[in-house]
Amino acid sequence: MSAGLRDIELRSRKTEILIVVTVLVFSIPLILGYSLLILSSFSKEMVTNLNPRDFIPTLRNWILFFEGRTAVFGGIRVNIWHIVLNTLIVALGVSFLVTLVGSMTGYAVSRLRFSGRKKFMALLMLLHAFPGSVMVVGIYFLYLMFLPSYQMVRLYSFFFVIVARASLEIPMATWLMKGFFDMIPWEVEWAALVDGASRLRVWRKIILPMVKPGVAAVMLFGFLAGWMDIIYVRTFLVDQTLATWIESNINAEYSYLPLVAAAGTFYLLPTIIFFLLAQRLIFTISATGVKG
Amino acid sequence: MVVVRLMNVTKVFRTGVVGVKDINLTVNHKEFMALLGPSGSGKSTTLYLIAGIYRPSSGKIFFDDRDVTNLPPKDRNIGLVFQNWALYPHMRVYDNIAFPLRIKKLPENEIRKKVLETAKMLRIEKLLNRYPWQLSGGQQQRVAIARALVKEPDVLLLDEPLSNLDAQLRISVRAELKRLQKKLGITTIYVTHDQAEALAMADRIAVINNGRIIQIGTPEQVYTKPATVFVGGFLGNPPMNFIEGEIVEEKGKLYIVIAGQKIFAPAHYEPIIRRGGWRKVVVGFRPEDTMILPECRDRNECVKGRVYAVEPMGREYIVVADLGGELVKAIVPRTLVLTDDQEICLCPSLEKIVLFDPKTEKSLEVLAAEKE
Ligand SMILES: Nc1ncnc2c1ncn2[C@@H]1O[C@H](COP(=O)(O)OP(=O)(O)OP(=O)(O)O)[C@@H](O)[C@H]1O
Ligand SMILES: [Mg+2]
Repeated sequence: MSAGLRDIELRSRKTEILIVVTVLVFSIPLILGYSLLILSSFSKEMVTNLNPRDFIPTLRNWILFFEGRTAVFGGIRVNIWHIVLNTLIVALGVSFLVTLVGSMTGYAVSRLRFSGRKKFMALLMLLHAFPGSVMVVGIYFLYLMFLPSYQMVRLYSFFFVIVARASLEIPMATWLMKGFFDMIPWEVEWAALVDGASRLRVWRKIILPMVKPGVAAVMLFGFLAGWMDIIYVRTFLVDQTLATWIESNINAEYSYLPLVAAAGTFYLLPTIIFFLLAQRLIFTISATGVKG
Repeated sequence: MVVVRLMNVTKVFRTGVVGVKDINLTVNHKEFMALLGPSGSGKSTTLYLIAGIYRPSSGKIFFDDRDVTNLPPKDRNIGLVFQNWALYPHMRVYDNIAFPLRIKKLPENEIRKKVLETAKMLRIEKLLNRYPWQLSGGQQQRVAIARALVKEPDVLLLDEPLSNLDAQLRISVRAELKRLQKKLGITTIYVTHDQAEALAMADRIAVINNGRIIQIGTPEQVYTKPATVFVGGFLGNPPMNFIEGEIVEEKGKLYIVIAGQKIFAPAHYEPIIRRGGWRKVVVGFRPEDTMILPECRDRNECVKGRVYAVEPMGREYIVVADLGGELVKAIVPRTLVLTDDQEICLCPSLEKIVLFDPKTEKSLEVLAAEKE
C-alpha cells in the first residue's frame, strides 16, 4: 500500500529540527560503539581507543572467523556454520512457537469473554516483568520433575531451549497481538460469516491479513530473542550458538579481539536487518488504518 | 420467494440486558419493511437475529416454512449491510464485492461478470481498484450494498445504511435504494431511526421501542392512526401534539374539554367512548391537520389560544401556540400574518384526532380491539 506516512501537518519546521538534533545527540554513544566494533573487525588492532593509527585495514579477521578459528596461531578450530545453524534452529524455533501461541492466545483474550480474563491479562503482564535469568533454575527443576531422567533433557536439548525461551516471550506477544485483534470490528468478522465463509476461512482470509503487521512484529521479536539468548542455551543446549561461542571467546586467554569483533559484527547482522525491516513495518501499520 | 417470519422471538444477552422481547413480525415476499425506533431500541438486535449472528433466547424464525432458528448465517442466503458497513479493509473494492462469490467457488470469469454488473448498478464501476479507506462515506456505503446484493440473496437486511451520509445525499440515495429494491424484488428489512426515511421508503413500517414492536402498518396507517402516544410523537416533523382532555356529555352529545373549552368528540370515537366509559383522555392531533383562524366563531370545533412563537420554515410557517399553558404546534400557509401573543383560534380537524388512554398511553381504538 503506497499511502506513505500520514500525520497531522501542524508541527513547525523549528520543532522538527530540534527533535531530530536531540535524538541524534542521545544516540551518539550507541552509533559510536557500533561503528568502532565494525571498524575493528576490519583492522589488525582494535580501534576502540579512538586512535586513527590503530586502524590497519585487513580482511584477515573475517577469513579467520569463517574458518572457525578462535586465535591467529593455533587455537581450536570449530565449524562456524554448525554454530550458525544451531543459532538459527533456536531462533526460528522460538520465533515459530511465540507467533503460534501468541497469536492464538491474543485472539482468545481479545475476542472471548471468559471469566477471569482480566486477571489472566494482569498475570501475563506480571510474568513478563520477571527476568529470564531468575527463572532458569525453576524451569530446570520443572523439566526434571516431568522427565524420567536427566539424560532426556540432554537428548532433546533444542526442544527444551526453545520451549523455555519462547515461554518468556509469549506474554508480550499475547499483549501485542491482542492489541491488533482489538482493532478489528466484530462486524467485519460477521460480514464474512454472512457472506458464507467458515470460521477457519474467516480467520485465514479476513483476520490474519488484517493483523499481518502484528504477526510480523511478533515473529521478529521471537527470532531476535532466540538469536540473542545466552543463559538458556548455556543451561540446556549441549551445543553452542553464536552468542555463547562469542561469549566464551572473549574471556579466553588466547583471544584475539579483532577476530571477536568480526564475530560480533556478524552476530549483529540480523538485528540490523530486522531493525530496518521493522521500520518499514511500523510505517505500514500507521498507513493502513481502518477508516469509517 | 421468501417470507420472513419471527414468532415470539426474545433475545436476552448474557449480561442480562434484554435486547428484544416477544417480537412477532412477518415480512412478505418482495416487501420493503422498515424497522423504525430510537437508539438502543433493539433494531440491530432484531436484524442480527434474522441474520443468524445472534441466536434467540426463545422463539422461532422462519424463512417460508423453513425453520432457520438454529442455522448459521452462511446457510441463510442473506445480504447484510452493517451500520458501519464493515468492508474488508485489506481488500480492494473489487475483491470486497467478489468475496461472497469466491466462497461459493464460482468460476473467475463468472465472478467478474457479476461483480461488474452489480458495480454498474450501484455506479461504483470506477472505484473497483481502490481500497475502502480511499473512498468517501457514500461510496463505501454503495460498496457494502453491492457486496450484499452480488450473491442474489433471498433476504436483504440493511442496518441504518444511510446514517453516515449528509442530509442531501441521504435523500437522493433513498429514492435510488427504493427503486432498486422494487426492481430486484428482494424481501427487504431496513433498519432506521429516521422516521422520514421509513415513511418515504417502506411498504410497511414496524415501530419498535424498548425491545418491543409497538405497531406494524403501512406508512399511512402508522402516521394517521398511531397505536400509542410514543408512535405519534416519534413520527412526523414536527410530531403529533398531545394535550389532556376530559369527556363530558351534554344533551346526549359527547364533548372533549381542552384547556377549559369544549369541542365535539370525533364522531367515530363516540361508540368507543361510550362502551369504554372513558372520562380522561389524551388528545392527539397533527400540526398539519390544524387550522388557525384569527378569531373563533362559536362552533365547538375550535379552541382559543395565544401565539407563543412563529417559526418560518420556508415553504410554510410553524406556529407554536399556547393552549392553557401547554404548547402545541400548527403548520400554516405563509400568507397568514401573526404576531407574538396575538389571540388565535386553533381548529384541529375532528376526524383526524386520535384519542389515547392517559394511563397506558395506548389509543382508545387499540384498547377497544384488545378487549374483543
Ligand atoms: N452484545 C450485546 N451485549 C449486551 N447488550 C447488548 C448487546 N448488543 C446490544 N445490547 C443492548 O441491547 C439493546 C438494543 O441494542 P441494539 O443494538 O439492537 O439497538 P439499536 O436499536 O440498533 O440502536 P442504534 O440505533 O443505536 O443502533 C441496547 O440496550 C444495547 O445496549
Ligand atoms: Mg443499531
